[in-house]
Amino acid sequence: MKSMILLSISFLLISCWRPRDNYMPYPQQKVWGNKPVYASKDSAKLVLYDPHPHPVVRPGNIYAYSSFIFQADAGTGIHIIDNSISSEAARIGFITLRGCDQISIRGAYLYTNSYDDLITIDISDPVKMKVVSRVAGAFPEFLYNYPLVEPDEPGYYECPRMDSIVVGWVKDSITANCYKN
Amino acid sequence: MKKRIFQKISLVIVAFTVFISCSKDSAGVKTPTGKSGSVTRFTISGNYLYAVSSHFLYAYDLNNSVRPEKVFESPLSFDIETIYPYGKYLFLGTKTGLYIYSIDSAAAPKLIGEARHARSCDPVVVNDSVAFVTLKSNTACGPAVSGLYIHDIKNLMNPVLKKTIELPNPFGLGIQDSILYVCCGSSGLKVFNVKAPYSPGLIATKSDGDYMDVIPYNGNLICAAREGIILYDITDPASPVFIKNIAN
Repeated sequence: MKSMILLSISFLLISCWRPRDNYMPYPQQKVWGNKPVYASKDSAKLVLYDPHPHPVVRPGNIYAYSSFIFQADAGTGIHIIDNSISSEAARIGFITLRGCDQISIRGAYLYTNSYDDLITIDISDPVKMKVVSRVAGAFPEFLYNYPLVEPDEPGYYECPRMDSIVVGWVKDSITANCYKN
Repeated sequence: MKKRIFQKISLVIVAFTVFISCSKDSAGVKTPTGKSGSVTRFTISGNYLYAVSSHFLYAYDLNNSVRPEKVFESPLSFDIETIYPYGKYLFLGTKTGLYIYSIDSAAAPKLIGEARHARSCDPVVVNDSVAFVTLKSNTACGPAVSGLYIHDIKNLMNPVLKKTIELPNPFGLGIQDSILYVCCGSSGLKVFNVKAPYSPGLIATKSDGDYMDVIPYNGNLICAAREGIILYDITDPASPVFIKNIAN
């Protein structure tokens, strides 16, 4: 009886210990699928500003403010668009901010996230934007649910480790334990 | 004696001025916030940032703009997808329904009403006492009839579903005056006249891209499409005129 209870508890624990809903309890044999590329939390949370246009990879949330439009590139950063003359609107800069997908603005400050951190950016000078504060761990659930936590395409993939941040995916021969529909 | 009277008069004048400026509507000195799309987990109302992760609602005090301070955190039993502010309320779109919070006490949001429905994802916009919600049936969000769901929210504690319009692949939406814009992916941008909110009339469908979300702002309709950002002139909100596609 005791061992049955112990077994049930262990089973429950194991079944709760899954990174995503895509987890498959019985890993596939070696298949060609997506393998996560990790970065340390420090390098993943680095913020950089480049006053030049970047191509849009994963069009995400948009935000309109004054003569600008801000567009999140889901999981990688924020594009800044100059919309002062709409017929000539164009991207003029990019803020590298991994794990980003939310934007909100108040006055001269843009509030966004880098994974679970709340970042405040001074946008008063569109050519020289800078981070003024970071609230680490503000949104714990975002650390397990961010745009790149699974590959863009459906198929088999290697479930990411819970203690690491995924910054990209590469095709490789993997022991797949996750599947995306 | 004269000095004393002068001092007293000055005091009265100062007090009167202060009284006048304090009793004036201070809405004019609100810090500008611009406008977000309808598919967002962050929103700012007054001096607070409200954020939702899958199961939590947070409030951050922005009185010191450079140092946001958490003042509220609440775990919720529903899967939250979006948040939308309207007046003294927050509308939370979730996988199981629309939830309405009061932010009368800005630092302590309070649940006051809900409209449950079949599992789906929920961008929502509100106008007067009407809430417009789009539901999409797909494997991630659960089964439901895809479309535009219009709720009477005169009684916030009891929203009533009044009209459903089936739409293909609906997602983000926006409203300007009595015109509602609904993004329907590759099926286009639907433009509805919602002057009679429970009998919307489809005016036009724009097909310049694969539409995901939309923001009516300063006479422009800013559309987030898969191909890029599409801009329309909505000086006449009922007749969007194509300006430019800022291609990816």
